[in-house]
Amino acid sequence: MNKTTKKSAAADANPFFGFSMPRVDAQGLTGSLIAIEGADGSGRSTQIALLQEWLESNGYAVQLVGLRRSDLLRENIDELLANTAVTRQTLTLMYAADFYDQLERTIIPALRSGLVVLADRYIFTLTARAAVRGVDRKYLDNLYQLALRPDLTFWLTVDPKVAIERELKKASVINYWEAGRDMNLSADLYESFTRYQTLLNREFERLATRYDFLRLDGETPVSAVNRELRRHIGAHLKIRSLRYTPSGALAHLWK
Amino acid sequence: MKNQSATHGKRPYPGALIVVEGIDGSGKSTQLYLLKRWLELGGYRLYFTEWNSSPLVKSATKRGKSQRLLTPTTFSVLHAADLADRVESQILPLLHSGYLVLADRYIYTAFARDVARGCNEEWLRSLYSFAPVPDLAFYFRSPLDIAIGRIVSGRPKLKYYEAGMDLDLHYDRVESFRLFQGMIMEQYERMVDRDKFVVMNGTLPLNELQEQTRDVVRSRINLEEFLPQR
Repeated sequence: MNKTTKKSAAADANPFFGFSMPRVDAQGLTGSLIAIEGADGSGRSTQIALLQEWLESNGYAVQLVGLRRSDLLRENIDELLANTAVTRQTLTLMYAADFYDQLERTIIPALRSGLVVLADRYIFTLTARAAVRGVDRKYLDNLYQLALRPDLTFWLTVDPKVAIERELKKASVINYWEAGRDMNLSADLYESFTRYQTLLNREFERLATRYDFLRLDGETPVSAVNRELRRHIGAHLKIRSLRYTPSGALAHLWK
Repeated sequence: MKNQSATHGKRPYPGALIVVEGIDGSGKSTQLYLLKRWLELGGYRLYFTEWNSSPLVKSATKRGKSQRLLTPTTFSVLHAADLADRVESQILPLLHSGYLVLADRYIYTAFARDVARGCNEEWLRSLYSFAPVPDLAFYFRSPLDIAIGRIVSGRPKLKYYEAGMDLDLHYDRVESFRLFQGMIMEQYERMVDRDKFVVMNGTLPLNELQEQTRDVVRSRINLEEFLPQR
């Protein structure tokens, strides 16, 4: 796993957004952290499954992380989400604890071992969700100062109207939080979903400029989005051949 | 949530927040209990809240501690989540309804412990900036040996995080606890001026100390406002 590219000198000096974490040795993180952001229905999970296969076929070990996947808090957040009495500041901080648990106990060790970490959403989603609910943006910036700066951050964009259609096709139900129903934007589910996702997109626009997101159109065919992802990641990891055809197990994703 | 820590003067609510701080064994909980009894018996509108007690967050903290999953960062963020839940669903609404809110430990506990654990102070202060600044913050100061003696003699076993075992200060739990409490005390002392602590002498006899505590409350808070309306 020593094929991964070295980070730039500046990034080596401080791989964190701001302050470094107490009792965490951030030296020698030779792996790469790649964050994939995008709303539900943007094709994020599909792309991550395909990327993992492509990376593994090229000899790169992959560690997947995402929201609500920490050993510490996964179950507690599930419980909180089922209980709509939870307030925005508490939820914001529970998600932050979930994130930091994964950062310290999964992401950093994986990077130290030279893995490619694919993050199915990162702090940007958490920041956007809290910001649209009125948590102060400066507060959120500070909260995530201890996060590692990704090597690459992709944003798969999708129009909320397309996103809801895809979600309905997939599951035929729209989740309470995904539709932002706690925000009382509209009694109508469709209206609530599209308005909420529009607000989130606006936050993402703000973050995209600030953090140099690589923006990809999530409405173009899966294979086209995937080609773009491979092009950027391939350049970063110095993978020469960008050719890829999904295996039989993933062929159904390739539209 | 707006940051209110900058405004030390007028508050946007009619209630008042009184907090007690100090190292373990400093006697603060006993003094707060006596203060609470006095105010209860006086018929004041009163609410009492304890550190690390939010039902929504408690099970997470408990599991994290028993399985030793917590790092200085997650320890801190989880305790902030606990306070956030209590602030948003109890403390702030009660302050707006004109209650006297008494808190056994508050943000300064987090500042002292987490800075001792290596967290960045600036980061911490911002992390906790959702919490209203207290109207009155008591700091019960006791010499380290007295405070530690009270804990070690009265309690069978010190818990892992309580003793600061996560910091590898000492292999012996009591010795580690002693060192950790010393570091926390140092942090409290640093905050005395900055956070306008009312420093109380924890070595005084309990009743004498309580008398002084009540005097401070009387002089700083207009208790009349907290009696039920006639």
